[in-house]
Amino acid sequence: MDDPIRIEIMKHLFVSVAEEMGVRLQRAAYSPNIKERCDFSCAVFDAYGQLVAQAAHIPVHLGAMPLSVQACLHKLEFTPGDVAMVNDPYQGGTHLPDITMVSPIYIQHNGQETLVGFVANRAHHADVGGMSAGSMPLSEELYQEGVIIPPIKLVCDGVINQDVWDLFLANVRTPIEREGDLQAQLAANRIGIERMEGFVHRYGFEQVCQDMDALIHYGERMTRQLIAELPDGHYCFDDQLDDDGITFEPVKIMASVTIAGDEVTVDFTGTDQQRQGSINAVYPITLSAVVYVFRCLLGLDIPANSGCMEPIHIVAPEGTIVNARFPAAVAGGNVETSQRIVDVVLGAMVQACPDRIPAASQGTMNNIAIGGWDEGRQQPFAYYETIGGGMGARSTGTGASAIHSHMTNTLNTPVEALEYVYPFRVTRYEVRKQSGGQGTFHGGDGLRREYEFLQTAHVTILSDRRTKGPYGVAGGLSGQPGRNQLQSGGNTQELPSKCRLVVQAGDILTIETPGGGGYGEDVHEKPTIHS
Amino acid sequence: MQRIGIDIGGTFTDVVVYDETDASLRSFKVLSTPSHPEKAVLKGLTLLSDSEERIVVHGSTVATNALLERKGSSMALITTKGFRDLLVIGRQTREHLYDLLPEPCITLVPSDRCFEITERVDYQGIVVTPLQLTEVESIIEVLQHDQIESVAVSFLFSFAYPDHERIVTARFREAGFFVTASHELVPEFREYERTSTTVINAYVSPVLDRYLAKVQKAMGQSEFHILQSNGGRLSVEQARGQGVRSIVSGPAGGVVGARYVGTLAGYENLITFDMGGTSTDVSLVRGHIPVTNEAAVGGFPVRIPIIDIHTVGSGGGSIAYRDAGGGLRVGPQSAGADPGPVCYGLGGIQPTVSDANLILGRLPHDGFLGGTMRLDHCQSAEALERLAKDLFLRPQSGLSQVQAMALGIVQVANAHMERAIRVISVERGYDTRDCTLVSFGGAGGLHACDLARQLGISRVLISPKASTLSALGMLAADVQMDYVQTLMRSRDVSYEELQRETQPLVVQGVRDLNAQGLKSDDIEVHCELDMRYAGQSFEIKVPLTFDFRAAFDRLHERRYGFSHQEAQVEVVNVRVRAVGMVMPPTLPRYQADLPDMTRAFWCERPIVLHGIVQNVPHYRGSSLETGHHLEGPSIIVQDDTTIYLGETDSASVDQYHNLVIEVGL
Repeated sequence: MDDPIRIEIMKHLFVSVAEEMGVRLQRAAYSPNIKERCDFSCAVFDAYGQLVAQAAHIPVHLGAMPLSVQACLHKLEFTPGDVAMVNDPYQGGTHLPDITMVSPIYIQHNGQETLVGFVANRAHHADVGGMSAGSMPLSEELYQEGVIIPPIKLVCDGVINQDVWDLFLANVRTPIEREGDLQAQLAANRIGIERMEGFVHRYGFEQVCQDMDALIHYGERMTRQLIAELPDGHYCFDDQLDDDGITFEPVKIMASVTIAGDEVTVDFTGTDQQRQGSINAVYPITLSAVVYVFRCLLGLDIPANSGCMEPIHIVAPEGTIVNARFPAAVAGGNVETSQRIVDVVLGAMVQACPDRIPAASQGTMNNIAIGGWDEGRQQPFAYYETIGGGMGARSTGTGASAIHSHMTNTLNTPVEALEYVYPFRVTRYEVRKQSGGQGTFHGGDGLRREYEFLQTAHVTILSDRRTKGPYGVAGGLSGQPGRNQLQSGGNTQELPSKCRLVVQAGDILTIETPGGGGYGEDVHEKPTIHS
Repeated sequence: MQRIGIDIGGTFTDVVVYDETDASLRSFKVLSTPSHPEKAVLKGLTLLSDSEERIVVHGSTVATNALLERKGSSMALITTKGFRDLLVIGRQTREHLYDLLPEPCITLVPSDRCFEITERVDYQGIVVTPLQLTEVESIIEVLQHDQIESVAVSFLFSFAYPDHERIVTARFREAGFFVTASHELVPEFREYERTSTTVINAYVSPVLDRYLAKVQKAMGQSEFHILQSNGGRLSVEQARGQGVRSIVSGPAGGVVGARYVGTLAGYENLITFDMGGTSTDVSLVRGHIPVTNEAAVGGFPVRIPIIDIHTVGSGGGSIAYRDAGGGLRVGPQSAGADPGPVCYGLGGIQPTVSDANLILGRLPHDGFLGGTMRLDHCQSAEALERLAKDLFLRPQSGLSQVQAMALGIVQVANAHMERAIRVISVERGYDTRDCTLVSFGGAGGLHACDLARQLGISRVLISPKASTLSALGMLAADVQMDYVQTLMRSRDVSYEELQRETQPLVVQGVRDLNAQGLKSDDIEVHCELDMRYAGQSFEIKVPLTFDFRAAFDRLHERRYGFSHQEAQVEVVNVRVRAVGMVMPPTLPRYQADLPDMTRAFWCERPIVLHGIVQNVPHYRGSSLETGHHLEGPSIIVQDDTTIYLGETDSASVDQYHNLVIEVGL
C-alpha cells in the first residue's frame, strides 16, 4: 500500500506541472485553435512512457497521448536535450493537425545522465498543408491531409534541426503562424522539464520515480473500485454516422460493453469496415473515447493516468472505422467518429445505469474550415472552427444549450477577433430554438451560426447528425438534426453533412447544429426555457 | 479629521479609525447584519465620537452579493441583430470536462428580455447596416410595461464606432431607464466579455446605488468613498452607476492593507496569504497592487481591472477524508463555522485542518480566540484516529498513528496552498524566492513558515493588525480610476501616435480625479499598452515608454521563455490608470529598549515537529515588543491567530510590532 499522504501531495505537484505547461502553451501560441480554443493537452510521463498526470484540457487526447510517447520511445534513441515530434496517426498520432512534442527529462544521478521521465504536449495546428486549407479535408487517403511526421527528432542535444523545421514550414499554408506555435510547444516542454528537475532536486531521484509509480497504481485502484460499483452485465447498442462524405451511405458503429467485477470490456465487433472518406478513426481515438466515458461515470476528480486505463479493455477489429488501417483518410475520425463512439458506448451504459446517463448530445463538432488568398491583406489565410450544439437531457432536468459536448470543449473565436484577421464576417450567432428533443425533460438547443463572405474562399464542412438526430432516452424524442445551407445569388442550397465548396463575395453560409435528445416519455408541448 | 475604514465580513464588520490630529489608530468590531449591511456600518459609526469632519472608506459587498445571490435589478439587454443569445452561448464551453449532467447556464438576463436592433458596424468602424432607431420605440414600450429598471446596451464593434450605442443609449435614458452602454464602460474588443461586464454593471448598479444613498443620508456631512475592485477608492458620487467597479471590494482591502504594512516594514515584493476558515486567498504584489483584466466573478467574465487574487478551497475548516483510491483528501468541503471543526464540540464529526493542528499541539486548546473558547482535544483525536484506520496509515517512527495522520492533513493542505501560490507567481514568470510572505488570515500563522519553506521564500511577515488589515487597507488606498480603449494597431506604430491616442483618456482621468477634490500635484497617470505579437491572442501589459517594443520583447521572454524581436507586434488596447495619492495613516512605531522576554513567555508544551515530539516555548504575542527575538521551534499565540515557528525558523519584532520571521530553508 502506498503512502496515502504522499500520493495526494505528489498528485498536486505533477498536475501543476502539466497545467503550467498548458498556460505557457496557450498564452504564447498563434493558432486560434490553441490560444482561443484550448485545443491542446499537456502531460507528464514516467521513464517507461506511462502517463503520470495530464491536465484537464481536452478529452480526445486522453488515451492518445501515451500512445504518442510510446511510439517515440519505440522508434527513437533519446539523449538529453532532444525533443521528438510526431503527428502520424498510424504511429501514435490521431490526425495530422495534432502535433505532439515529446521531451525526455534527464538528471545527473550517480554521476551520469539518467532518464526520469518525459513531458509532452499536443496541439491542434490551424493548418498542416494538404488538399484544403485548415487541413480537415474530405480526403480519401492520408497523403491528402497534410504533412505526415513520423516520430523524428526536431531538436537534437538542444539544437533545432533547421532542415526539418524549414521542410515542415515550406509545406504549410501559414508558416509564420506555424513557427510561433512550434515555438510555444517547445517553450511548454521546457518549463515542464524545469519543474520536473526541481522536483528531483527537492525530493531525490528514487523518491520521484517511486511517486510516479504510486500515482499510477492509485489511479488504477480508484478506477477498479468505481467500476466494481457499476452493475455487472452485458449491454449492447449501435448508432450511425450520416455518411463518409464520398458515398452517401450511413456508417454503423456497434459496441457491446461487458462489466465484470472491477473490469470492463468494450467490444466493437460488428462495426462497419473502414471507408474511403475521412471519417476513419485510428485506435488511439477509440481508446480516448472509451476512457472518456468511464472517466465521466467514475466521478470528476479521479486522476488521468495510465493506471486508470488498466482495467478498461477494448476490442476494436482492425480495418473497421474504429481501428483504421494505413493509409485510410482520418481527418474526421478524431472529431466526428470519436463523438459517435461516445454516443454508442453511452447508449449501451444507459441500460446499466439509466439515471446517470443523459440522452445523446449533438454528436458532432461541426468543423468549418475556411481558407484561400486574402486579397485585402495580400496573404494566404486558413481558419478552422467548431460549433457547439445541444446537450442531451438528463433524468433530473433539461440539457444545456449551445455548448460543446463530450470529446471537445473548445472556445469559440470572438466575432470581433475574427473580423480583424479574416475576409469574412459572422452575421448571426444564436440559439436554435426548439431544436432539443422533447420528453419529460427537453434536450438542449443547438446553435445557428451564419457567415457572410467578403471575397472568394474555399470552405470545407465536416459535420454529422444531419440526417438522424441525437437519440432520446427513456422514451424521450430525438433532437433535431443539424442543417447546412448556402445562399448564393438569390438561391438557397441545402448542403450535405460533409462537403467542400468555393464561395463568392456576398454568399451566406448558415450552419445549424443539432439539438440534444430528450429524456423521459412525458412528451408534450412545453416551452423550452432559456433563462 | 477622522478617517474611518469599514470592512464588512460574513460574521464581523471591522472598523478602523485614524485620527489625523494626533495620529492615533484604533479598531473595533461589530456584528455584521447580512440582510441589511448598512445597519452594521451605521452602528459602527454611532460608536464613534461625534467628529466634525470625517472621511469614511467602505468595502462594500453589496454589489458582490447582488450578483452571487441573484438579487440584482430587473433588466434588459439590447444587442446587434443576430446576437441576442450572446450570454447563453458565452464561449460555448462547459465548466467541467467530465460532467455528463451539467446544469444549463442561468444568465442574468432572461431570454425574453434580450432584444435585437438592426445595425452592424465592421472592425474598422465602418457602418455596414445603418441603425434602425424606430425599433427602439417598441422595445421601450415593452420594457415600460414590464417595469424594467435597468438596460444594458452592447453592440458589436462599439469600441471602434460608438455612435450607434450612443444614440440608442440616449433614447433609453430619455425614457427614464438606468442605462449601461458597453462603449462607456469597457470600450474593449471581444463581444462576450464586454457584454458580460456591461450586463453585470446594469444588474448590480441600481441595487448598490440605493444602498449608498441610504448610508450617505444617514452619515450626514461625512465624505464617503467605497473601495473598488482595483484596490483604489472612489467617491460615492463617482461610484454611482458603476457598480461593477466594486464587485470584489472586500478582498481588495486585504491586499492593499498587506501591501501597506509590508512596504512600511521595508519589503517590496510580497505574496499576500489570507487563510481563513473555508478558503485561502493569495496574491503577488510587486511594488504595485496586482490587477487582472481577465477575472470572472460568479462564473461571469468581468473585463474591468480587478485585483488579482487567486482563491483555493483550503482553510482551517477544510474536511479531511479518504477517497476511493485510498488517498487522503483535504477540502474543498469545509465544516464552516457551524458545526465547525470537531474540536469546537458543536457537532462536527469529520476531522479538519484545525483538528490536525490541535493534535499536533500547534494550536493550543486554551489559546483560541484569546482563550474564550476551549477546544476539545479528545474528540479531535478520535476523529483523526478513525480516518487513520480508514487509510491504513502506518505509524511513523517517533509519532503515534494519530499524530502522523494530523501531520499528513497539514501537509496536504499546504500542498493545495503551495499550488495556489505557484499559479500567481512562477506560472507568470516570477520567482518566489525574492518575496516576503505576508500572512494575515486567522488560520495562516500555523502554515505560513512551512509553506514559505516549500516555495523557497525566506521571510514571513505577520502584522499585529492582521485581523483588521482589510479595514486598514481602506484607509491606505489611493483614489484610482482605470480607462481602456481598443486600438488594434499592427503596422509600425510610433510612440508619438500612441501618446496621442492615450491623451483623451489621460485628460478624462485627471478630470475625474479633480472632481473628487484631488489637486493635480497629487495625481499620477500611468499609461500602459496591451501588446502581443501579430497573430497571438493574449496580451501582455507594457508601460507606454519610448522603448515599449523592447520592453514587450523582454516581458514576453520572461513569461514564455522566448521572444521574436523581428516579428510584427500589435498594440491591442491602451490603458490609463489615474492615481490620486492619499496620505496613508501613520502607524505607531516603537523603540527597542533592552527588551525582557520573560513577560511574553507563556508556557512550555510538547508539539509535533517533523517526525518528532518536542517541548517548545509558547509566547503571548500581545506582550512581544520591538527588539524581541525568538528562536524556533516555538508557538506565538495572538488573539486572532496562532503562529508556528519550525526548528530552523527565527523571528524578531520590528519597530511596528510586526513579527518578521526568517525561514530556515
